[in-house]
Amino acid sequence: MHFDPAVLVDYWPLLLQGAWLTLQVSAAAFVMGYVVGIAIALIALVPGWVPRLVTGLYVETLRNIPFIIILFVVYYGLPFSGIRLPAVLVGTAALALFASAYYAEIVRAAILALPRGQFESARAIGMSPMSAMRHVVAPQILRTLVPPSTNMTLTMMKESAVLSSITVPELTYQSLVVQGNTFAPFEVFAAVASIYWLIAVVIAEASRRLERRVGTAQAGASGRNRIADRYLSLVARRT
Amino acid sequence: MSATPVLRVSALTKRFRGVTALDQVYLDVYAGQIVALIGPSGCGKSTLLRCLTWLEQPDDGFIEVAGKPLGRELMPGGVVRRHSRRQIDALRPRIGIVFQQFHLWPHMTALENVVRAQTVVLGRSRAEATRRGVELLTRLGLADRMDRHPDALSGGQKQRVAIARALAMDPALMLFDEPTSALDPELVGEVLTVLRSLAGIGMTMLVVTHEIGFAASLADRIAFMDHGRILEEGPARDIMAAPKEPRLRSFLDLVRTDHRITRTTANPTE
Repeated sequence: MHFDPAVLVDYWPLLLQGAWLTLQVSAAAFVMGYVVGIAIALIALVPGWVPRLVTGLYVETLRNIPFIIILFVVYYGLPFSGIRLPAVLVGTAALALFASAYYAEIVRAAILALPRGQFESARAIGMSPMSAMRHVVAPQILRTLVPPSTNMTLTMMKESAVLSSITVPELTYQSLVVQGNTFAPFEVFAAVASIYWLIAVVIAEASRRLERRVGTAQAGASGRNRIADRYLSLVARRT
Repeated sequence: MSATPVLRVSALTKRFRGVTALDQVYLDVYAGQIVALIGPSGCGKSTLLRCLTWLEQPDDGFIEVAGKPLGRELMPGGVVRRHSRRQIDALRPRIGIVFQQFHLWPHMTALENVVRAQTVVLGRSRAEATRRGVELLTRLGLADRMDRHPDALSGGQKQRVAIARALAMDPALMLFDEPTSALDPELVGEVLTVLRSLAGIGMTMLVVTHEIGFAASLADRIAFMDHGRILEEGPARDIMAAPKEPRLRSFLDLVRTDHRITRTTANPTE
């Protein structure tokens, strides 16, 4: 038995198709998950116990269940409510749902780490809560958000491999197909591993550049301290 | 003295989990007056300011700014009507507040700090807001600091930016929370000058402070607060010379003794 990557020659297009779908699904789940995450974080900060309870339940439920189970519940649960959607849409939605809980926590922690006086001074001068968020809070937390959000996004991208179990033809699914055709599992999975690795490296590098850009845009403007930053990155790593 | 006070506080009460922070506070501030609010720490001075800006919601009582009710109002027939968030926000620019720690927005330049709320809240055009911002900052001696971020400003400069930010909203009343405490002691004179210049243009002010000397040299009237109540209020000279309330008398004694102690320890050779 010897390592023979030549068996893959005919199957590269299939693997690249899978990789492309993995990217698309991850990007879509990132956008959807972040939008929902921001909404959840903002609701969580509304005074009163009801919003806190509701968002707390949302976040804890999604964080305390393995992703594959979330996926199965959504995938097999939707037909019960008479909704039939293509597996790729269901998978993306489940992935977004999963990620949104963590994004919500990242955004909420970043807002809370900002000194309260920032929001209060904006409110006291007459800005609405949303204006205060937009003009005063958001620009100051952008940079803090980048590293933990990148961590979570990488986790989510890797977690998208699970979508193969509901027949979404993404990278892992295709690798199983190729493996079945070639009977060369090691070659196939080694190739797929390097593709995942490459995608992750590209995302991480993009995030580093983004962080630097956001960093220069708000040079000299730091409202937080190191302990808060550290906490935020730990929150993200708990995934 | 005009008929309607710029600020009228009546029966204002605020409790935190059973602890009464403000207990039936009554206070009138008339146009052009500077009122200093003094009292020991924890007496409710800062809570009062936070209630006046509705950052804390008082449990009871009424606030009127230039004749307009803030937060809630008494309707004919004794019904209390609560105001919506929008109504409260609409009145907020009328009350300028300068926080103890200023709370400038660090991601904006000094000028932008003054301009932004004008455009967002009052809907002024950028050109108009900028004109107003430049005018105010120049008047406060910051003409050469307008493009700096707050991190690059001294404490006194930050305070003046915070003052300009509030003034740009054309408030009827300015609130100051401990304007001397976040600054070096030698800057107290400077703060005094700035606040006096505001008085010179007819601005009405309510200044919370625990520095008696500062209050005495600045204010027209002094209100003394203890345990969430305003115990004595009157012309500054009378309050300083002949305090009636025993607690105010002992407070003044205490503060004056403190002053003597700090002075002797600061200059042991004298």
